[in-house]
Amino acid sequence: MSRPLVGPRLQRVLALVPWILAHPGVTLTELAARFEVSERELERDLELLPMCGLPPYTADRLIDVSVIDGSVEIRLAEYFERPLRLTPAEGLALLAAGRALLAVPGSDVDGPLATALAKLDDALGAPGALAVDVGTSDQLERLQDAAAADERVEIDYFSFARDEMTTRVIDPWRVFHAFGAWYVAAWCHRVDAERLFRVDRVRAVRATGEHFDPASRADDDTRDLVYRPRPDDPRVTLHLAPSADWVVESHPHESATRRKDGSWRVVLAISEPAWLERLLVGLGPDATVVAPPELLSLGADAAARLRHRYEDS
Amino acid sequence: MADRLERLVNLTATLLETRRSLTLDEVSERVEPRYPDDKTARRRRFERDKETLRELGIPIRVESVDGFGAEQAYRIHPDDYYLPELSLSEAELAALHVAVTAVRLEGDAGREGLAKLGGLAGEGADTAVAELDVSPGLAVLFDAVSRHATVTFSHRGAPRRLDPYGVVLRFGHWYVVGHDRDRDAPRAFRVDRIEGEPELGPDGAFTPPPDVDPADYVRADPMTYGEDQPVDAHVLVDAPRAGWVVDQLGEEAVVERRPDGAVVVRLPVVNRAAFRTWVVDLLDHAEVLSPPELRADMVAWLDAVAAPAGSDA
Repeated sequence: MSRPLVGPRLQRVLALVPWILAHPGVTLTELAARFEVSERELERDLELLPMCGLPPYTADRLIDVSVIDGSVEIRLAEYFERPLRLTPAEGLALLAAGRALLAVPGSDVDGPLATALAKLDDALGAPGALAVDVGTSDQLERLQDAAAADERVEIDYFSFARDEMTTRVIDPWRVFHAFGAWYVAAWCHRVDAERLFRVDRVRAVRATGEHFDPASRADDDTRDLVYRPRPDDPRVTLHLAPSADWVVESHPHESATRRKDGSWRVVLAISEPAWLERLLVGLGPDATVVAPPELLSLGADAAARLRHRYEDS
Repeated sequence: MADRLERLVNLTATLLETRRSLTLDEVSERVEPRYPDDKTARRRRFERDKETLRELGIPIRVESVDGFGAEQAYRIHPDDYYLPELSLSEAELAALHVAVTAVRLEGDAGREGLAKLGGLAGEGADTAVAELDVSPGLAVLFDAVSRHATVTFSHRGAPRRLDPYGVVLRFGHWYVVGHDRDRDAPRAFRVDRIEGEPELGPDGAFTPPPDVDPADYVRADPMTYGEDQPVDAHVLVDAPRAGWVVDQLGEEAVVERRPDGAVVVRLPVVNRAAFRTWVVDLLDHAEVLSPPELRADMVAWLDAVAAPAGSDA
């Protein structure tokens, strides 16, 4: 027997009733759209209400619902006149989303979103207590404009993983913020493939005078885009000290096993050796390559190479 | 399912409407559809309903009837239940709708909160412009901020007592900021490094300073956030990375421009580990020039990584 969850439906009913009480005559169609529910489900919710009310459940104590020509009215439910308080998680989610959107360069900082957030702040008893900083970059607005206008541009880009500067022509599809950085999802004409670029590593943006066809834009998902290991990317197995656990938190990995002593065994896909060099030299004694054999000395070799700059020391 | 939903609506209405707390016997006499007659089954069924309501954020107060705790009574306090009057305009609701669709967070808390405020008004955003991670435990900390409750938690293995003033998202991480009671100083803690669920003390335990801006507690750069003796470092950055580094640090950090395009930049260092990581991330393109002790630190680090203990090198 399938058991539909009672929680979400109760939640919806408790949200619907105050809204209908405040907007007598609202149509089923509008309610369905507002509360993300089918009209059929909505009717089932409304059929339930006349059985609800207060003891002793006589006619004058039961909620009175009338649906006439698709318009809904409710009476005898004064105790549900005002909606339920927001849970901390709900308040947090609304404020975080709103603050993040307000922080995006170019947003209207005096508009209805700002006034809505100020009211929420007060209702939650925590005015100004939640701040979101999405940062900005020199080329951010230029790329946002290019993406909005379907403009093909040439960029100078620092490829961090490969540790090199490149120039490429891209069709910027979309600019977005994720995991603490701004990205532009684009078609890259240099590699003839979809690529994701970090905006803070874009050094310059130049017009090409051309536009691209917005229909070519992929139906992308940021979560997939941010890191997508290719099947043929090499894998490395690392042993990490307990204090290097942030590597497990902050890098997508194929597997991670925590040992009894708190240390980790983690398998990562690596796109470029420079990336792994940084990780190993940065972590020092906290990380050891376990496999494959050809990468065992990568960190030590890189450290020795960097050491050459300090020969006189 | 329908019976249970009906009873949950009736239980909520009854506990909300009652002027005094009701014992389970009294609840059972009143609320329909009836709880089972068998005492154990009745208690189990009631506890399950109570738990469902609690999960939805409907707080049932439990009070002792006789002062000895032998029998308990229940009610929903109107102040705990009702959302304070917000008077959000349709434009403000629509702006929040855009925010929850344009900024993606894990889970549905934003949409659920919006349903309580009046559902989805207007058109949402077509695509996300930002994606935020929400650390577990963040909602509990935000709740503590609203309640002015002291929180205790374990952070990187150390116990902490904090009067929380706010939560801040920066560099892609959430921080809880406030006054550290044991150190008697302002502090910021990364929420994803808190182990287990934070515990809340009683409400109203402190008064946050007026006009506190939580964002001030998380400094602009992780490298400047630490407790080492502050010292100014000079770093030589080669031409290929010079532009990028200057973009990152600002023109005011440049102390010398060399004919070959390299720059010498000055960085205030209070966190030596973060400073080292920053230099290592530049791989072959950076060299610590001064002060001597930081240069020696870097050399010692590279030597240690190049010839790990126990190796023959």
